[in-house]
Amino acid sequence: MGKVKIKRKSTLIDMTAMSDVTVLLLTFFMLTSTFLQKEPVTVITPSSVSEEKVPTANLASILVSPEGKVFISVSGEADLANNPEEWGSEPLRKEILKNAVAKYNTLHPSKKVVLTEQDADVFAKIGTFGVPFQALPTFLRMSQTEQDKVITDMNRADVGIPIDDNTDLNTPNEFQIWMQAIYSSGNENLQALMKKGEGIAVKADQITPYSTVHHVLDNLQTLKMNKFSLLTALKTESE
Amino acid sequence: MAQIEQSDKGGKKKKGAQKKMSIHVDFTPMVDMNMLLITFFMLCTTMIKSQTLSIALPTNEKVEQQEMNKAKDSEAITLIVDTERNDDGSIKKDDEGKAKNIVYYYLGKPMVTDENNDSIFEDSNLMRETFIGNDEQGMQQGIRKILHNRNKAVLEKIAVLKQQWRNKEFSSKKDINDSIYQARAKEIRNDSTLTRPVVIIKATPNASWASVIGALDEMQINQISRYQIDNINATDQGMIDAYIRNHGN
Repeated sequence: MGKVKIKRKSTLIDMTAMSDVTVLLLTFFMLTSTFLQKEPVTVITPSSVSEEKVPTANLASILVSPEGKVFISVSGEADLANNPEEWGSEPLRKEILKNAVAKYNTLHPSKKVVLTEQDADVFAKIGTFGVPFQALPTFLRMSQTEQDKVITDMNRADVGIPIDDNTDLNTPNEFQIWMQAIYSSGNENLQALMKKGEGIAVKADQITPYSTVHHVLDNLQTLKMNKFSLLTALKTESE
Repeated sequence: MAQIEQSDKGGKKKKGAQKKMSIHVDFTPMVDMNMLLITFFMLCTTMIKSQTLSIALPTNEKVEQQEMNKAKDSEAITLIVDTERNDDGSIKKDDEGKAKNIVYYYLGKPMVTDENNDSIFEDSNLMRETFIGNDEQGMQQGIRKILHNRNKAVLEKIAVLKQQWRNKEFSSKKDINDSIYQARAKEIRNDSTLTRPVVIIKATPNASWASVIGALDEMQINQISRYQIDNINATDQGMIDAYIRNHGN
């Protein structure tokens, strides 16, 4: 009887093909995706049949949390490579901060808010902001992890831009100061879009009571920003 | 990781022949790393862009009041959206887990009977409907049916137009076809010779944001071009109270 020879096979698997696939997938994800915006609260927007897409550049978006806290995020021009003199998000935010604080200080000469150049740099990097003016200096001097902790805590009194039913633009509330500062930031494209209503977006959770969102809508009306868009998700059910 | 193997097949070597070398590079760590990167990108990105619904609020200058009354009574329809809530403020859900959104509506002007003149109404022309889309046959139900019937003249014309658009009658190119369709549809929506409703949307303080968007959405679905959001007033609230007293919750 002859012995059965067991051939020794190498266990090496050629991973080259696998590697090719993963690199392709990676390229796909890198090219198609946009990064999730860090937001203080996650809101589930209601769905609608509208197919208009939200613009990514030149947009002032107002986030209303279910508790009624208001946050604002501003983005500037997207295409900066071709024309570096345009308003990118960071210089735009700096300018807005400067205008808003100046306005606040003229209105409240007794409680002036003083910010350094460094604070402005920190502010320019924050995507979504929402603290009262008085809390701004302390907030901007915190570390980033602390800032995140503060701004996501909805029970704190010093989170969210203060907003009330004020209808007199001579004594604007803080939300109105911010919106005016954004409108007159000097970025003409943003201003034009805000006039048309595409530059302002209101985002609220689907279960938020209307009385809460109404507050924001009323304030926008007072600011004569009557046209704006509401963020929704695409409806899955067919027409 | 990477190794160079010499093929070695029994000592029959010709003199001067080149040694055959095969190079193996182990790509496993590379694949590992790529997978990690893919996972990172998948978790940290959004693919879906939000949609937007553009609205225009009326200016809150006082002249508006008279302008608003110009809308013909026969054309006006007022919707008041509301959401049923439990005592603790959470939204009541139906069996399928969907929020219970209701909509009260009245045609034309509010008509109330107030026998004792005490602002507690006995009855009104207020009616209640639900937000439900189409049934299985594609027929409109609930408030959509009412709005559909009010805007029939426009919708019929748009249906014809849509058919033409589907058959690509305007142009064989997709984008030109689309833009012509959009322009024509807009013309029809704003055609003042047709009977078109004017919809006033109001919301109770309890109404969820989703129900308000739902009402605005119905405007899109039913191709209604004239609508606006307004604040609820005491008469409206009184009418709802009377309705609930008369018909139960």
